[in-house]
Amino acid sequence: MFSRIAYAFRETWESFRRNITLTAAAVLTSAVSLLLVGATFLIQRAFENLLVQWRGDVEMIIFVRSDASAEQIALVDSVLRASPTIIDVEKLRYLNKTESYEEAKRIFVGDPVTLSLLAPETIPTQFKVVPLSDDPTLVRSLSDQYRTLPGVEAVALAEDEFEVISTLSNFIRVVTLITSLVLLLVAVGLIWNTIHTAMFARRREIEVMKLVGATNWFIRVPFMLEGLLQGFIGGVVSCGGLWLLNSAWTNGVTGFKPGTGISSLVVPDSYLTSVMFILLAIGALVGAVGSAIAATRFLDV
Amino acid sequence: MIRLENVTKIYGTETVAVRDASFDIPKSQFVFLVGPSGSGKSTLLRLINRQEQPERGDVWVAGQNINELPASRVPHLRRSMGNVFQDYKLLLNKTVFENVAFALEVIGKPRHVIARQVPIVLDLVGLADKQDRFPNQLSGGEQQRVSIARAFVNRPLIMLADEPTGNLDPNTSEGIMGLLDEINQTGTTVVMATHDHRVVNAMRRRVIQLDRGVIVRDQERGVYE
Repeated sequence: MFSRIAYAFRETWESFRRNITLTAAAVLTSAVSLLLVGATFLIQRAFENLLVQWRGDVEMIIFVRSDASAEQIALVDSVLRASPTIIDVEKLRYLNKTESYEEAKRIFVGDPVTLSLLAPETIPTQFKVVPLSDDPTLVRSLSDQYRTLPGVEAVALAEDEFEVISTLSNFIRVVTLITSLVLLLVAVGLIWNTIHTAMFARRREIEVMKLVGATNWFIRVPFMLEGLLQGFIGGVVSCGGLWLLNSAWTNGVTGFKPGTGISSLVVPDSYLTSVMFILLAIGALVGAVGSAIAATRFLDV
Repeated sequence: MIRLENVTKIYGTETVAVRDASFDIPKSQFVFLVGPSGSGKSTLLRLINRQEQPERGDVWVAGQNINELPASRVPHLRRSMGNVFQDYKLLLNKTVFENVAFALEVIGKPRHVIARQVPIVLDLVGLADKQDRFPNQLSGGEQQRVSIARAFVNRPLIMLADEPTGNLDPNTSEGIMGLLDEINQTGTTVVMATHDHRVVNAMRRRVIQLDRGVIVRDQERGVYE
């Protein structure tokens, strides 16, 4: 058993050295495509931060003053429930102080100054409203009405604040995702090609191996390992790139004025780490799949 | 040990390489397949080690119908056979020792078995003192000896040789034939395709003669004609 493993690794390394240019090309392509995949993840998450308070078709948020009495809150609630033809009562949600503070922590992740001004005791609570009507003027006139209720601090409409960003984020997400998928396919193709070349260079050896009774798996494994390694190294390079990109972005964002909303476009380190693990896994998988296809395809000696 | 029953092999749609061939080779026999180039000798060998499969008929090896063998069992079938070729098929970047060891290495034999078996078989073929040379530092006859050592190191039941003396002068050929004879004496069945009159006539073993894919003669202790 040990001699087989040693054999596989030795062969992998030899082949790696022999095809250094092609290998480098395959590694770089997979790195670039994986970097884009990673960027897609981060962009998506960043926009999610920005849009977190509008998640689930919420079109209107009624902020209630932190010092509002229980009666005032109950009044707002009953007024909202009084128009079931315009407001989706089923989806009406009230976030108390703790919940609102949790949400704020996500929105202001890149803006510690603003976050430090907030506290669970002083934060406004909020009603999240999903309108049934598509008519923007109706929703707007409704919001003017709610603004005058006692205890209400402000009413925010999605239309005013995040419609553009939400469309933009969808667009960017689709574009980066498609580009990264195309590049991933190119990476599979390049890995496939390097493995093909490696196998062609060693066709005589493979022929002898088959004639003396080596199993197909025995012949295939070093090539698959080679492809897997190429994908994995591509993954490592892309992780480095992603980390640099994310640090630059995080540093850049702190330069913005607090409260502009841009500061929420920062992702927590824990998320970055999990994206990196995903990239390594995708890289290894892509490499193994590309080389497995090539190895199977060219094993008919 | 090897039995063919009405075997027909067609390449593409037209070319009939072997037509309705039947024979039975008992264990430990030495058999020559003779005939001009393109008469189907190599195809018969390739049918026996399942590099090819026949369109019609059955090939039996060691009591097994090898055409019904699943692809995953083919490597195990091949481990019971040694193959020798006209062009040796040695790996030029490996030494004599490594070439022979390779055959054991790739079927997963442990290192200590390799270290024990390879010198024995190199001694048998008379190359014990050249185990660290590379193939292109050897003569043609020596290279063929390495290839025979590689084919025999796993002690196969059957040895298939395709024109093993095709590239060698008469004296060297004689040495190679002596070696194959020696291997045959250990109980290994030897099937050798050749169009070398001299070696066939000198050995006086069973001769199966082919002409355009058809067996036209099967004779014990035959000559080439």
